[in-house]
Amino acid sequence: MIKVGIPRALLYYQYYPMWKTFFEGLGAEVVVSPPTTQAILSSGSSRVVADTCLPVKVFCGHVLTLVGECDYIFIPAIRSVKSKIYNCSKFLGLPDMTKAVIPESPPILDIDIDINQGKRELYQAIYKLGRRFTWNPFKVRQVGIAAWQAHLKYKQLMSNHGLTPPQAIERISNTTEVEPKTPPGNLTPTQATIAVIGHPYLLYDEHINHRLIHRLEQAHYKVLTPEMLTTEELESAITRLIGGAYWTYEEEVVGAGGHYLESGADGVIGIMAFGCGPDSLMMDIVHRRAARLRTTPFMSLTLEEHTAEAGVVTRLEAFLDMIHRKKRRRTEVCV
Amino acid sequence: MRIGMPHMGNLYIPFKALFQRLNIDFVIPPVNNQRTLSLGVRYSPEGMCIPFKLTLGNLIEAAELGADTLLMPAGSGICRLGYYAKTQEQILHDLGYNAEIVCLGVSQRKLFGLLKMIKHLSNNAPWSKIISAFRFGLAKLNALDRIERAVQKVRPVERVKGTANKLFAKAIEAIDQADDYNTLKRVQIGYIDQLNQVTKDSEAQPLVVGIMGEFYVLLEPFSNLDIEKELGKLGVEVRRTTFISEWTKFSLFLNPLGMNEKDRIHKAALPYLKRDIGGDGWESVGEKVLHAKEYDGLVHLAPFTCMPEIVAQNIMPSTKENIPVLTILCDEQIAKPGMLTRLEAFVDLLEHRRRVKK
Repeated sequence: MIKVGIPRALLYYQYYPMWKTFFEGLGAEVVVSPPTTQAILSSGSSRVVADTCLPVKVFCGHVLTLVGECDYIFIPAIRSVKSKIYNCSKFLGLPDMTKAVIPESPPILDIDIDINQGKRELYQAIYKLGRRFTWNPFKVRQVGIAAWQAHLKYKQLMSNHGLTPPQAIERISNTTEVEPKTPPGNLTPTQATIAVIGHPYLLYDEHINHRLIHRLEQAHYKVLTPEMLTTEELESAITRLIGGAYWTYEEEVVGAGGHYLESGADGVIGIMAFGCGPDSLMMDIVHRRAARLRTTPFMSLTLEEHTAEAGVVTRLEAFLDMIHRKKRRRTEVCV
Repeated sequence: MRIGMPHMGNLYIPFKALFQRLNIDFVIPPVNNQRTLSLGVRYSPEGMCIPFKLTLGNLIEAAELGADTLLMPAGSGICRLGYYAKTQEQILHDLGYNAEIVCLGVSQRKLFGLLKMIKHLSNNAPWSKIISAFRFGLAKLNALDRIERAVQKVRPVERVKGTANKLFAKAIEAIDQADDYNTLKRVQIGYIDQLNQVTKDSEAQPLVVGIMGEFYVLLEPFSNLDIEKELGKLGVEVRRTTFISEWTKFSLFLNPLGMNEKDRIHKAALPYLKRDIGGDGWESVGEKVLHAKEYDGLVHLAPFTCMPEIVAQNIMPSTKENIPVLTILCDEQIAKPGMLTRLEAFVDLLEHRRRVKK
């Protein structure tokens, strides 16, 4: 059986159920790299030039763990998934870059996704990818549709049940029902909600963000993430803030940030990677919005491979203290 | 309505000619200097690249001079450049300037869009006037680049160092002053003649170094600390493919007809990078492959945190075509002595290689 490796980094969190359905439908076995560790990060960053951003270093580390474990590695070049909205250069160059910095990697399955080229090009790209596994174009079509359905189901699961991508992936892969999260009604009145915004590959990689979400949950805060909002909510927030999206994954930052700053959260934490091109601008837009609104506190955390855990924890504590005090003052006034 | 725009090399000269002919009220912010950079750095998000910081500094300085309509290049599917205008407008508003940013959609609007925008700015001047002013601007642009090419040839071999640079400065001044085609032609021929007559070291065989990389840092000497002049002082002949006049010629006139000057470069890059990654990343890889045989070495210029150039930088060492490449990242922290040391070491290395080859 052909083994297809998928690195647990970058777009894994957005599209894993879709990719898994696609490759398994074509009779391949899907191998996912283990969760990030320091060794994975170090091995990845030893391969690329120093100013490459953290998520790409992590990605290269994951590809290295898959060397020898699979026959192919799936690395799509996603240029655009919405009309006239493009992705960061690093996603576009990802297959070629991986080939250049990790020459020993198994053959790379790359596929160009560019909505602006028209549907025909997109379908042809998918067929080309599928034809490596089967001669039958109808099978590719059937599996492609099933993969798309899986993706929609995954997205719906996250927005309806308030699940994070790792939780949703776990629920999809386990047939047994995972116990549902505490419904929002059980919250004590003083309990605050914190929105964490940023790209999924930063929010849900517990190694690189030092278990930020886990820490917030431990401290009994309700955590909101971009996936819990509907597309309409995200898009309307983007329109209010800057008129229209420019980057493919802009809703995760500007959309979610804009929405949570205006409603639904007591504090917003923005997470970005050092040297991230799109984020350096998008986070600034959210920051400016927060400064203008003056209603919801906003903190931006920049992650890089040297980020010390103690530094993150100290800033988090100070931020939470501030929110706690603000909230207490408000309840006292109400009483 | 008073118009202002950021600097990039000598681009202000053709625009000045264009605006003057159309009687548009405009200001030219001071040429890039330390204050521009400090202003830009102070008000920019920290992770931004040097082109953003410098252009923001220019826009602030233009707004200080009373400009209320600022021209900024924008577009989609390029790099962060497409997002510059949105952020810079917010920054200017937060600083209290009531300026509107007009986007020059270079990537999709092409020639007609540009002309239409000029028509709007000039209060509906007749088309004939716009086209004649635009042509004159282009003529100045071409003259500037022709002289610059000649200067690049003379710099490494001149007997008295600095002669070519002095002539170039005078030529820029004269082109700026010229107000009809005849004067412009006379100036161009006159200075190219003078450059040819500069006493040269006839036995010198200068090393040939190509400089390539990101568009803005290549063309704005302030951001790359005058790297071309410094290489010239070291006796190195600099070759550059990127010229604004070339770029305008192709992107405004020839690309719509299906001709692309970069096809050759892209084709060379194909084995290593299969697709356009925005910015000039594809071209950087292609130029390395293409020039590996022709040149002695390459200097790769990129702004710090530039996404396409980082990808290019990662891919370049893996190409089969071998040539020494020195990557210099430009940002506000770069210091001249550091850069000079690196250039000297690089030139030493190239000389050694040449000796060994012989």
